[in-house]
Amino acid sequence: MTRSRLAWPFLAIVAALVVLPLGVAGWLALTDYTGIRSATFTGATNLRRLVADDAFWVTVRTSAALALVVVPLRLALAVGAALLLHRGGAGVSTGRVAVYLPSVVPDAAWALLWLWILNPLYGPVSAVLHAVGVGDPGFLTTRTGAFLGLSLVLAFQIGEAFVVALAARAQVPRALYEVAAVEGVRPATVVRRITLPLMAPLIGLLALRDVILVVNVSFVPALLITGGEPLRATLVAPLAVYRRAFQYGELGYASLLSLVLFGMTAAATATLWAGVRALRR
Amino acid sequence: MTYERRRRERVVALDGVSLEAGDAELVAVVGESGSGKSTLLRAVAGLARLDGGSVAIAGRDVTALPPGPRQVALVPQNLPLYPHLDVTANITFGEVARRTPRSERTAKVRRAVELLDLAHLLDRRPDSLSGGERQRVALARALVREPAAFLLDEPLSGLSGATRLALRAAVKRVQRETATTMLYVTHDPQEAMAIGDRVAVLVAGRIEQYGAPVELFARPATVAVARLVGPLPMNLLAGALAGRGVPTVGVRPERVRIVALGIGRLVAVVTGVELIGEQTLVRLSVVGAGGDVELLAVAAGTVSVGTEVGADWEPSDEHLFDVAGRRITATDPAVP
Repeated sequence: MTRSRLAWPFLAIVAALVVLPLGVAGWLALTDYTGIRSATFTGATNLRRLVADDAFWVTVRTSAALALVVVPLRLALAVGAALLLHRGGAGVSTGRVAVYLPSVVPDAAWALLWLWILNPLYGPVSAVLHAVGVGDPGFLTTRTGAFLGLSLVLAFQIGEAFVVALAARAQVPRALYEVAAVEGVRPATVVRRITLPLMAPLIGLLALRDVILVVNVSFVPALLITGGEPLRATLVAPLAVYRRAFQYGELGYASLLSLVLFGMTAAATATLWAGVRALRR
Repeated sequence: MTYERRRRERVVALDGVSLEAGDAELVAVVGESGSGKSTLLRAVAGLARLDGGSVAIAGRDVTALPPGPRQVALVPQNLPLYPHLDVTANITFGEVARRTPRSERTAKVRRAVELLDLAHLLDRRPDSLSGGERQRVALARALVREPAAFLLDEPLSGLSGATRLALRAAVKRVQRETATTMLYVTHDPQEAMAIGDRVAVLVAGRIEQYGAPVELFARPATVAVARLVGPLPMNLLAGALAGRGVPTVGVRPERVRIVALGIGRLVAVVTGVELIGEQTLVRLSVVGAGGDVELLAVAAGTVSVGTEVGADWEPSDEHLFDVAGRRITATDPAVP
């Protein structure tokens, strides 16, 4: 009783800020609303247009590819940092702060910082790569390079995941490591066969959250650094929806696109969730 | 295993401990919590670093070796199983990691499973096992290691009654079958006396006495051992009260006779009566120099609380201790 009562304010907020806009978007998706004239019901017109809208599906594929590259990278970094920094010792506190710090920087500031870091003319990365004779892959100028650049920008804001991974590592009982040490099991095997399996359920949850996060926050660097270019290589779905709505003024159609994006993210996380549950058994 | 010493944040956990276990011998180490018994075991396993001294296993000095190459098997006190693996995988974990050939592994596992009666549990996860079953799995895992020494840290703590007895027998069986040296740490003196070929009594990081159970019982080297060893703690009386010219006189409750008032050495009041099997444990209160002293006696019949009685014992049943609590050996009674 008490618990459900405490949930009421939260439910009210969700209703006002999530459910209501979703409902409105659902209605607008069936209209030709532009934001200037009042909406006219157009039935399945938008839907038919969507089916044939190859340009949009390309942006969905870009977002999916980005999630496939960035989510594992973020998890590897967060879990790896947690395994390295879970024990006390010299420099560990500094290390923890260093891992967390990028998450404190506002997304827009973070994006602009990377615009400088990856700049082919005066950026430090380019300078270092040239100095060692490797050559710049064209972080902001080629299709692959820009995609990689965007992935890098998104890879390091892992503070929360790092903290969760630290907690997960702390949950593994020390006695298990002692038994393994006495049995003469090598450290790499211990990580692979004890630590990671025992952390797996929480890592799964982190993956779930990261898919949603990466798809959404990719909007900021895509808008500020690459603008979706070159040749739409970094035109992620949220940016495409944003342009459809606020540059082309097609709010009705953009509503449908955002609903589709929402549905697809939900489907992806549901699939992952099923995987996590299977792991827990 | 010889002289070991371990300092823990300015606390010396073990000090001047010298313990040698014979080949295929089961040595029980008994002590209260904080006495350093677990530290001793961890030092032998290589999990605790020594500030001085050395550890040798099977004639080989292993002081500088990490835990793995020491070839010992550890059954730790808490959470000894990998929760995400079934019983088979738990038993074979070390073998798989060490890449033992499959055929050899299978044979070892079959033997362990047979010896510890685990055949019906092989597919189960640790969280679906009872406490006793888990300990049997942990023992099986130690067994397949074919170690140079078994190290058991309170393996029976948290188990009750019949399970405890059965598992104690299983531990002994494993040790006999493999003819391997075993170090068995426990806080329960009864358990130590029951299982050990020899028993080491550890008090505050020092070994008070090390010997066969019967010797510890018949000739406790210190008052601490006298209190700890045996089904009931030994009565320890001021020498003056017992009419002796030594600081402390010890008499086992089993040897204290309740006699008619006026006959015995002491006059006592019965303050409590507890039934222990066929006999009765009688709590007596004796008026001493510094206040009332409790004296325990075991009687065949019953006496009522509040009665005044006499308490007596044979001079040959007395254990005499000096000011430091050490045994005065001149008057030792014969080993029964």
